[in-house]
Amino acid sequence: MLLEVSNLTINYDKAMIINDLSMHVDSGELVSLVGPNGAGKSTLLRAITGLVAWEREITRRSVGEDITIEGTVKFEGERIDQIPAHKIVARGLIHCPERRRPFREMSTYDNLLAGGYLLKNKKEMEENLEKVYQLFPILKERSKQISGTLSGGEQQMLAIGRALMFKPKLLCIDEPSTGLAPMIRQEVFDSIVDIRKLGITVLLVEQEVSTVFKMSTRNYVLSSGKIIAEGTGKELLQDEIIRKTYLGL
Amino acid sequence: MLLDIIISTLINGSVYALLAIGFSLIFGVARIVNIAHTAFYMIAAYCIYFITNSLNLHPLLGMLTAIVLVTLIGLISYKFFIDPIREHEAAVLIATIALAMILQEVMLLIFTGDFLSVPSLIKGYMEFFGVRIAFQQLLTIGVALVILAAVWVLLRKTRLGLAIRSTANDREVANLMGMNVAQVAMMTMGVSVALAAFTGAVVVPLTILNPHMWMHPLIMMMAVVVLGGLGSIKGSFVGAYILGMAESLVVFLIPMGSFLKGSVALSIMILVLLIRPEGLFGVAFEEER
Ligand SMILES: Nc1ncnc2c1ncn2[C@@H]1O[C@H](COP(=O)(O)OP(=O)(O)O)[C@@H](O)[C@H]1O
Ligand SMILES: [Mg+2]
Repeated sequence: MLLEVSNLTINYDKAMIINDLSMHVDSGELVSLVGPNGAGKSTLLRAITGLVAWEREITRRSVGEDITIEGTVKFEGERIDQIPAHKIVARGLIHCPERRRPFREMSTYDNLLAGGYLLKNKKEMEENLEKVYQLFPILKERSKQISGTLSGGEQQMLAIGRALMFKPKLLCIDEPSTGLAPMIRQEVFDSIVDIRKLGITVLLVEQEVSTVFKMSTRNYVLSSGKIIAEGTGKELLQDEIIRKTYLGL
Repeated sequence: MLLDIIISTLINGSVYALLAIGFSLIFGVARIVNIAHTAFYMIAAYCIYFITNSLNLHPLLGMLTAIVLVTLIGLISYKFFIDPIREHEAAVLIATIALAMILQEVMLLIFTGDFLSVPSLIKGYMEFFGVRIAFQQLLTIGVALVILAAVWVLLRKTRLGLAIRSTANDREVANLMGMNVAQVAMMTMGVSVALAAFTGAVVVPLTILNPHMWMHPLIMMMAVVVLGGLGSIKGSFVGAYILGMAESLVVFLIPMGSFLKGSVALSIMILVLLIRPEGLFGVAFEEER
């Protein structure tokens, strides 16, 4: 198992956002995580990649909320729930965050360099940059442009490209198609298929259930912080209740 | 007169640019409003005074020692004074005000409130259309510009610069790139204080030392940062020369103008806040850092 989450419970103040959740991702899979808004999908990804723990540190130091995390997260068989976010990245578990979040005042090129921050040498940086440009030629065209001025689709490609710069073993992508025009969405989904061909395992959070179920090897349906169903797209679509209640199809 | 104004604009502008950029850096990366920033500039100046006048060593040695020492003091005060309360913006503000006052009082104790000065690095002057320009003035401008260029290189061309800019843009996402943002903040504080110390070093032969000498530059620096846009390095640079020029014009053209220079800066600051709160090059802050 590449990623294994066991009995994860997360509370923000008194609200339980993730409720005794267990899930896993095997090497080579494309696992999707679907469910209604506010189900806790982003929080789960943020917990896996150490951001919830980081947020907890920060809020402890200020007057913010009280965040508690229980349970374990293992990556390649080793616990990562106790190590800081920036060290989790070094192991090859990369998170492409919700709402794209490019470094808005920096150029496309500098954003990609930031993605390769942990790379040891220039040569590797050049090679990975070339691969990202191959996957998203538009980024090469826009390399000098300030990323805040890119279109939504371009920003999404940049966010994915930036996450690819450090050659992830597992790439977690949070709602890449949200807010994009249908044509651009398809382009983004196609690129995710291409990413898998590079041998990268993907954990994908998406609202666009019908498209995602065609691509994924397995899916989890999340609601109110709990996994309420798991299976292939076909299996899940056969279940009337899940289809109507949770997937809105 | 015109030449006087130009020289004085360049000197003041460069000093404010150096101070404002250092101040902006640590604000951008860690959202720390460091009121003690110019107090570090002051202790660098005193440090140079001490080494040259009391120990009779070469001013250049004094400057180098001052920069290293003040940067260390800056890092230590960050570690023990600011870092523990870093996420609490109001507390940080109060702590840095306290830090500035402490540094002022310590200088007052050691050096008294007397007006002191440090000799020029190079003596002499040249005459240009009847105006005397001291070589020291040219040296100060030249070195200041070199330091500004070095900061640009640091931010644009180095790995630390990339981490500083990324963290200033979006601290959380910087984490996701493998950047240790707490460490980046610490390093930025080092760079920021070193800049303040450098500023003290380049300008000390041209100024009068006094334990209150941090006040006026603080006001000017804040005005520059507001004018240029909080967090914008380019804005700080441009804003610094605009205010440096405004100050020179007031001092040279208005009788008794040197008493007015602080209020001119503040008036410009208030005007900018009214018309364009985000400043000339400011970026409206996003919800996420
Ligand atoms: N920083 C936070 N503080 C308090 N509540 C939060 C925070 N982040 C998310 N939540 C809450 O957690 C729940 C799950 O949010 P999220 O993980 O963003 O859901 P999803 O990504 O599935 O839409 C929501 O009810 C949201 O209001
Ligand atoms: Mg979400």
